[in-house]
Amino acid sequence: MAKSTIKLRTKEKGGKVQVKALITHPMETGLRKDKKTGDKIPAHYITEVKVEANGKTVLTADWSGSVSKNPFISFNYAGSKGDKVKLTWTDNMGKSDSIEKEVGKK
Amino acid sequence: MKRRSFLKSTLVASAAGVAVTSGILGSSNVFAASVVGADLAKAKSVDEILTMLGAADAAESDKIKIKAPEIAENGAVVPVGITSEIEGTTEIISLTAANPTPFAARYMIGEGAEAAVKSRFKMGMTTDVIAIVKAGDKFYTAKTNVKVTKGGCGG
Repeated sequence: MAKSTIKLRTKEKGGKVQVKALITHPMETGLRKDKKTGDKIPAHYITEVKVEANGKTVLTADWSGSVSKNPFISFNYAGSKGDKVKLTWTDNMGKSDSIEKEVGKK
Repeated sequence: MKRRSFLKSTLVASAAGVAVTSGILGSSNVFAASVVGADLAKAKSVDEILTMLGAADAAESDKIKIKAPEIAENGAVVPVGITSEIEGTTEIISLTAANPTPFAARYMIGEGAEAAVKSRFKMGMTTDVIAIVKAGDKFYTAKTNVKVTKGGCGG
């Protein structure tokens, strides 16, 4: 498998599934300047992150440039082992990536 | 570039369209729900965002817990966790007041998910972190201060 931009970890405990994800992304605000040339670095950040479990959306996140580089997100939802958790992100340049994992499987 | 600005203008136009409809219905909440993240990200002040959301009259609540460091050594990566114990929480919005674009993130809590999210934000300087929680038709808010000793925006 090609290297994904997303690292997704899921853990089930007592009827709850913890979802942790780390996305590799520059998250440029568009306000930063290139130190050498003085030109502004164009904004490039993730605008939407969507997490689905078994096809049902459990969390949608609208992000802005104020979210850190290589963003991290963590939350819990009521679920069980074997759930298929899918995370998709889209950025302001129209790029996107997604990953799907089964809860309880490495 | 042209394509993107076209998209943006369509978004604004559709938002305005919804505003008209909501005016007829007499409900400001219809409008609030339709505010798109891209528009919020353009807002330059906290007040502007509150107005966009229709949350200007948000009540302070101690049921919202913000977990953030008191002093952040590196403003580029500040872990912030927001937990809402308010029943029926559907949205958690996080703002960093002193940033040029205060809007940081909005989380729409789906069915079965807990109203608790953790992520990491950039903070250019010492700032208030404001959490806005939407439960039902009402907004609640809480805030905490984070001291940043080193800036996060190209510092």
